[in-house]
Amino acid sequence: MNASLRGIRLVAAHEFRMRLRTGRWKWLLGGFTLTMLAFTWILHAALDSSRGSYYNGVTIVRDHSSIGPQMFGVLMLFVLGLMLIISPALTSQSVNGDRERGTLATLQVTLLSPADIAIGKLLAGWSVGLVALGLSVPFVVWSLIEGGVGVLSALVTLAVVALLIGVICALAQALSALTSRSISSGMLSYVVTAALALGTVIVYFMALSLTAEQRTARVGADYLSEGTLHHPEDVWWLLAPNPFVVLADAAPALPPLRADNGAFVERSDDPLGSLRRTVRDATRPEDVVTCYNSGYTELDPPGSVPSCRDPFVEPPPVWPWGLGFDVLLGVGAVTVTIRRLRTPATRLGRGVRVA
Amino acid sequence: MIEDAELAEPPSHGDAGIVAENVTRSFGTVWAVRGMSLVVPYGRVTALVGPNGAGKTTLMLMLATLLSPTAGRLRIAGVDPAEDPVAVRRVTGWMPDTLGMYDQLRVREYLDFFADAHRLSKADRVRAVPSLLATVRLAEYAEAPVHVLSRGQKQRLALARALIHQPRVLLLDEPASGLDPRSRVELRDLLRRLAADGVAVLVSSHILSELAEMADRAVFVSAGQVVASRELSELAAIGAGHQVGWRIRARDPQALQTVLAERGLTGGTLTPAGLELPPMTEDEASDLLAAVVGAGVRVLAFGPVGSPLESAYLALTEEGR
Ligand SMILES: Nc1ncnc2c1ncn2[C@@H]1O[C@H](COP(=O)(O)OP(=O)(O)OP(=O)(O)O)[C@@H](O)[C@H]1O
Ligand SMILES: [Mg+2]
Repeated sequence: MNASLRGIRLVAAHEFRMRLRTGRWKWLLGGFTLTMLAFTWILHAALDSSRGSYYNGVTIVRDHSSIGPQMFGVLMLFVLGLMLIISPALTSQSVNGDRERGTLATLQVTLLSPADIAIGKLLAGWSVGLVALGLSVPFVVWSLIEGGVGVLSALVTLAVVALLIGVICALAQALSALTSRSISSGMLSYVVTAALALGTVIVYFMALSLTAEQRTARVGADYLSEGTLHHPEDVWWLLAPNPFVVLADAAPALPPLRADNGAFVERSDDPLGSLRRTVRDATRPEDVVTCYNSGYTELDPPGSVPSCRDPFVEPPPVWPWGLGFDVLLGVGAVTVTIRRLRTPATRLGRGVRVA
Repeated sequence: MIEDAELAEPPSHGDAGIVAENVTRSFGTVWAVRGMSLVVPYGRVTALVGPNGAGKTTLMLMLATLLSPTAGRLRIAGVDPAEDPVAVRRVTGWMPDTLGMYDQLRVREYLDFFADAHRLSKADRVRAVPSLLATVRLAEYAEAPVHVLSRGQKQRLALARALIHQPRVLLLDEPASGLDPRSRVELRDLLRRLAADGVAVLVSSHILSELAEMADRAVFVSAGQVVASRELSELAAIGAGHQVGWRIRARDPQALQTVLAERGLTGGTLTPAGLELPPMTEDEASDLLAAVVGAGVRVLAFGPVGSPLESAYLALTEEGR
């Protein structure tokens, strides 16, 4: 590896300077900000108008409960979605594009190591993504002002998005090191991003249907029910690397709501929380989950009583696995890039000329 | 003691800038370089000449530590690039035949970046960059963006980049292709100066008349192999035995044509410089001249087409094509 701080900084600063000068970033960031502004505005208006109001005989009383959690959750998922669209483009031509322009070889014959070049270039692309993320902060702050979400929640969530941007950038960069044409790597990096964001969900549900099993269950005292039982606990890990899942699961939980009688009620105003519960529930057997959904359920073999867990004791988080996997993927991608930049090169990709 | 000193005398070219032994490089099924052996001594300019696709660029890439040989051994400044590429990069300057540059940078920034990448200190960079820009006559363009430079100016900037860390081995792949006559003369002078300072210079080019003026030695390659290595001073002799084209110019072209036709030489190409005759050896040429003059044609000029290097090139690379 022998990356040096000096080399990485030199390459990163150099790449960043060139990105600044191409001017495309103005359009990128301008478009990003406008999109965020429009989306947040509409989101806020929609949530605001859905607040309940009623007539108490004298005047119209507006329900002033906070729209903060809902606004924050939807906003963060939207920011992540936008970043997933932007990030692949930031680095998907960083190696083969330079090779096509004939500038890569001139860099490789200097005293910069392959790791300096790979990491420096990655940092430059990543930081453009972080600048975009920074531009979303005012909108996130707006949702915080609406109340109900703590600053820590916002910080953790933003940090997760920042990390995921880096992972996507690293993957796109590795693809640009593996393919000879920048068009191919550009497209492939979107395929890989879509595989993470959508493919994991599709594969999860396909795998889940394969775990289906016919079971007879006794519901209540003497009611027998024939049903299909799935085993999400066997396949939940397929969902774990999904960036949206990681984001929702890593976001600190909001305080639970209590009903008038003091009982806990599920929050319905917290999109991240709902997603988190759905995913975490998937880590435990379906029969246990149904304990609190349909009263009491007894499963085959008759007579065995499933242990019902407290539904408000959440299962352990899945994001350490998901984020850990994603970060490993990113680190692996950087390693691949470094290997492909190693010189003297023994093998070249098909159709690649060094200079 | 004295015997020891004599024994210590290197048996081969241990002290040369570049030593290649049987170097081979393939790309899949294509053998770009097949068993090249050559020596590029310090203090001399060595020309690498050969037809398109002969493997010159591929050899340069291997010398520049970018490609590893499929087989064979390289030593640059005594170091094998396969073992210690960094040590080789420290002492080697390379100018590729492609002009890839960072168009967004200014000329000075461009050089400064590469100086930095070669670990020159800030103080050294501040000193080296302007002086190098002056050397390649780009001082007035120091603050201009690289993309406004003409092809020849970019080539001179690429040369400056190759020289930024004062390499002892210099690899130039077709450095003169876009240069105007004046810049070529300057390039020649610069290379001569570097060689005088002890730098080992390997330069490939297709412009043989130029190489004839800037090189001390020529290595002829064809189809991935070295076909000959010669001092330029020896070259005249190589062309002599071979058939090369000749050019003749006379006061009265009509009379010349008639005499030539009598000797069976019809249909030569007429150029402003004279009538180009089919290839013949020096002996045949001198017989012809005697005959033409003997027939009363007033000859203004008669000589081989091209330089001795060109003649040698055509003779030596014939078989490889
Ligand atoms: N990366 C590569 N992949 C496949 N073939 C290659 C590659 N690089 C070079 N070649 C082939 O190797 C041969 C030598 O190429 P090279 O560029 O070294 O020639 P050259 O002597 O520099 O020619 P020119 O005078 O035109 O610059 C050519 O036949 C070329 O097609
Ligand atoms: Mg070439």
